Amino acid sequence: MAPQPVIRSRQMEKAINGIPTQVVCTEFSNYIFIVLTQYGKIGTLVSITPDTRSGDISVPMFTTKVLLGKDEPLTHVYAKNVTTFVSQESGNRPVLLGLSLKDNSAATMKTVKDMIKGCQVW
Amino acid sequence: METVENGDSSTQASVQGITVHDFSEKILEQLVHFHVMKLSGGFFLWIGSGPVLSNLAVSIGSKYDSTPLSTLVLGDTSDTTPSALAQRLTKKTKKQVFVSYNLPMTNSNLALLVEDRIKKEMELHPDKF
Repeated sequence: MAPQPVIRSRQMEKAINGIPTQVVCTEFSNYIFIVLTQYGKIGTLVSITPDTRSGDISVPMFTTKVLLGKDEPLTHVYAKNVTTFVSQESGNRPVLLGLSLKDNSAATMKTVKDMIKGCQVW
Repeated sequence: METVENGDSSTQASVQGITVHDFSEKILEQLVHFHVMKLSGGFFLWIGSGPVLSNLAVSIGSKYDSTPLSTLVLGDTSDTTPSALAQRLTKKTKKQVFVSYNLPMTNSNLALLVEDRIKKEMELHPDKF
């Protein structure tokens, strides 16, 4: 009866240091949309775009932009850290990240990255 | 760790967990897909016929005005359909609403029918929004 959804999404929930943490990854043809939250909200919305340039250097560059919310340096660092691998693995697609964490520690970031890996839709 | 493929994941045990809801409808000879992500105090709604995300609007209620505040955060700002739709959905639900509208903007008749379809789904499944 109902046709298959045209866009694919996967989600995961895990407590990190006792804080319920949720990851939802949604695949679009031109974007990977990731919600990463400990508030159940989208929060700060960041776009992470790989720079299109034909260089011989294999390390790609990324441009991060806060589309909605507080524009802090840490947000850019965090967004790049957790999503560049997604962009690389998905054929250099830009990533749209909704970020709202209570705990921004490096240890949490590692767990969060594993959660994103577990929600692979690309 | 538990992963849930998309579809209706509302059965997942969580106090205020994010849930995903998909539905489709043939409107004016065109199959239109809807994807709703229920969040705490709001929802994300994607509308389209193919898996593209070409714009994103957000709307929130205002303390000082009965008309919700709405803005486009991604895409062509000359297309007012996504932000106008987000604004009306905030007015109706009193929630923060994200809208991505990926259908031809030129067809206002289609937009109207799409909006009616969303409102119908909200009545059928109020827990999904």
